[in-house]
Parts: sequence; structure tokens; C-alpha cells
Amino acid sequence: MKEKEIIRNTYSVCPVCLKRLPARHVRVGSSVYMQKDCPEHGEFSTIIWRGYVDMSDWIGSVQEMGDEGNPNCPNDCGLCSYHAQDTCCTLLEVTDRCNLNCRFCFADNKGSPDPTLEQIRLWLNKLARPGETLVQLSGGEPTVRDDLPQIVAAAKEAGCKYVQLNSNGIRLAQNKEYLEQLAQAGLSFVFMQFDGTEEEIYQRLRGRRLLEIKQRAIENCADYNIGVTLVPTLVPGVNTHNIGDILRFALSRSPVVRGVHFQPVSYFGRTPGLPEDDMRFTIDELLINIKEQAGDLIKLENIIPSRCNHPLCGFHSNFVVMPDGPVPLSHRERAGEGCCGPTTAKQNRAFISRRWQRQIQNQDGGSCYCSKEPDINSMEYFLQRVKTHGFTVTAMAFQDAGNIDLERLRRCSLHVFDKDRFVPFCSYYLSRWQYQ
Amino acid sequence: MKEKKKLICNRCRVELKAQKTYFEYLGHSFHADIPRCPECGEVYIPEDLAKGRIAEVEMQLEDK
Repeated sequence: MKEKEIIRNTYSVCPVCLKRLPARHVRVGSSVYMQKDCPEHGEFSTIIWRGYVDMSDWIGSVQEMGDEGNPNCPNDCGLCSYHAQDTCCTLLEVTDRCNLNCRFCFADNKGSPDPTLEQIRLWLNKLARPGETLVQLSGGEPTVRDDLPQIVAAAKEAGCKYVQLNSNGIRLAQNKEYLEQLAQAGLSFVFMQFDGTEEEIYQRLRGRRLLEIKQRAIENCADYNIGVTLVPTLVPGVNTHNIGDILRFALSRSPVVRGVHFQPVSYFGRTPGLPEDDMRFTIDELLINIKEQAGDLIKLENIIPSRCNHPLCGFHSNFVVMPDGPVPLSHRERAGEGCCGPTTAKQNRAFISRRWQRQIQNQDGGSCYCSKEPDINSMEYFLQRVKTHGFTVTAMAFQDAGNIDLERLRRCSLHVFDKDRFVPFCSYYLSRWQYQ
Repeated sequence: MKEKKKLICNRCRVELKAQKTYFEYLGHSFHADIPRCPECGEVYIPEDLAKGRIAEVEMQLEDK
């Protein structure tokens, strides 16, 4: 019989009624489960760590939340005085409509009519901190709107420093004129759904073949100098075998592709069923798969637990792509050295924007090394190359009603703007599980 | 055009010459041409380099 041990106490919700409940991380053998008991709906257990990497070591010095916190959290959620992180990125839904009908979708089409451009302009003016805000235009699929270029322009006029588009890439592949308008309006970069390098994956997850469309969208973005970060939703048994090839594909498309942002599947919005433990893909499982499938390119020592959000929410790693492969810049053992202390939302925003936005050579008047031999040890070459060919491998594990951990939620820096409130992403999209 | 000032080594009283100089930061090694005394090897890091390129390298490597 495996030994059981409670290793951490936190709070969560009942997946059926969403009532706030005490919860605990229980180590059973090498795996860790979140366990909680609802007086009305019974006991729930969800795997949160499989033991490929030491979980305590990964969490580091982050303290348990204890009994403190808003007793109403996460119900009626909006940023409150107990929230422990500022806004790094603000997500704004500009439509409910979509041109795909995926098996998995956090947003799930509700069929609401689109907000008007004027309404969106008002929201942008409210959410923007001039010169600082990174706004993610999301949906639905934002590109179903013909007036998206005007929305991008309105975001810039409101003072948003960066405008990110979350897109499946279909229209970006099919309509270059539209993409040109987005670029001219000030679009900073695209977060593009990219689930793998095999058509079979798209067929299973998205219901149609999409790989060629994704490739064309990337090529088109290159023509307008718009950086693309690839965003795979990782679903066990569908595309988790493809992690190494996704990374190789992305690196081969540097510098237009700025990185890969892995999102292990979570079960909110529209999902095909309630999750068993084998339907989950934990952060440490992702780490071990990166090592096994792409260890020649990326070492685990270069991957750093999230410091802006909670370490269990994800990680980041930072590279410069040289002709013969990526050179790591981030080192876990050295993270936190230098002059910077804990990462703030502002620092994180500066970092991701610097990496995800494409920068052309000599934009800042730096010396040109185009004609010289690449020498990563030359300070001038390094500074130029890291701007033009920076590359990140990042991950974010969204939480659902089964595994939501209020200790994590309190450190969330990705906020949805809705009804004049900033709401942490995972509480905004939290949906109860319906038992058949 | 601003005339470039000569830099003299305080100890050796000879003019510094721009030479390839190596820096190490967070495990990475970089080189740049920096004024250096040909006699004693002492280097002079101008303020604009310290606050400019070197600070930029630090920022890129600290990555946040």
C-alpha cells in the first residue's frame, strides 16, 4: 500500500456546486493529488503532480495561503485587496463567435451578439494604463470581426502599449489584406493556436485539417513583421507525443515564431467529458516530455518556475536562436540572481513583450553584424541577435473546477476585463461540472 | 564633431588602447573592445557603456 501524506493545505471549490472548500495536496507514492470534500456532493480527488520533478523544490519558498484570504473567493471574483499580484496581461473578449467548433474551448460560444466598436472603445479606455497595458484581444475568434483593425487601433489610441491577438490563424492565412490592416493598426504580436505538426491532431481536436493553414498564417505574419507565438493545447493521447516536434518546428521558423506557449488541457468551457486523472497533463509531465522529446535542444535546468504567477501555474525559459540551434539564457539555479528580486507583473510584461514582439535588425540603431561571422560572445552581436532571434518556451496550466487552487488564483496576473472589473482568468472561466 | 579624448593610465602614464576584453555575467562570457592599458592591463569602462550596452546585457540575461 502506498504511503499517504498531506503536504500542503489550501482552498478550492466543489466542482459540482462551486462552493468554497478547504483542500489539501496529498502525496500518494510519488504523485500528488488535490483532495477536497463537499458536504453535499462528496469527496473529490484530482491529480496535480506526477512526481517526475520534486514538487516542493519546484514551488520553492512560496508560502501556503493559510486561513487568510477573502472568504468569498472565488465567488463574485474581481481583484480584491487579498489578491497578491498586479495585472500583467488584460484579456478582452471582442466576440463570442468562432469559425471553428473545437472539442476543447475555454470560452465556449454562448451565441451573444458582438459588442459594438464604440462599446469596445469605452472598455479599452477604462482598462488601459497608458504606456503600460498589454491587452489580449480574444473571443471566440476575434478575426471573425471585420472591424478588428479598428479595435486594434482603438487599443493603441487608448494607450495600450502592446496589443496581442489570440487567434486560430485561419483568417490570417486566408486574407493578407486583413492582416496588413491589423499590422498597420498597430498589432504587436499573435498568440496562435497550434496544436501540433500532424494533421491528425487537428482533425481530432479541432475537427478539421489545419496544419497548412497554420503554416500559411505564420508566413503571412512574417511578411508584415508580426511575431507569432505558437500555443498548443496539450491533451493526453492526442498531441503530447508531438511536443518535441512542435519545438523543432517553432525553432525552424525563428525569428517570425517567437516561442511556444504550452497550455495543458483544462476542463472548463466546452470539453468532451469529465476528466479522469489520465486525461490530465501536469506541469511536471510536460517538463519530462520536453526532456525526453527535445532534450537535445532544451534542458530542464534552463526552465524556471513561474515567478510572476504561482510556480504551479507554469514556467518560462529564454533562448537566443543561433544558426546551429538555441542558446539558453535562463538558468534555474541562477534565477533571481542579479539586481532583480521577485518578479512583478510589470517586469513580466516587459519580458514577454520584448520576446514576443518581433524586432527588426537595427531598429534601435545598433551595429549591424549581418555581414560578420555570428559570434554569440561578442556583446554587440549578442544584443542584436537576442532582439531579432529571441525565443521563449513557456507554459501556463489553467485551472478548472476539479483542480482550482485558491493559493494559485491569488497570484494570477492574467486578468479578464469584464463589466468594469479585472477578474483572474481561471475564476472568470470557472464552470461547474455537470454530472450526467 | 566632438574630439575623442585621450585616456591615460593613472599608474603607468601611457595611453589606453581599445582592446578585446572579456566580461562574465551569470555564467555567460562576452567580449567588447574596451580601452585598456597596454602596460598593466587595467581597463576603463566608460559610463555610457556601463549604463548602455552592459546594462542591456544584464537585462537580457536576468530575463525579467
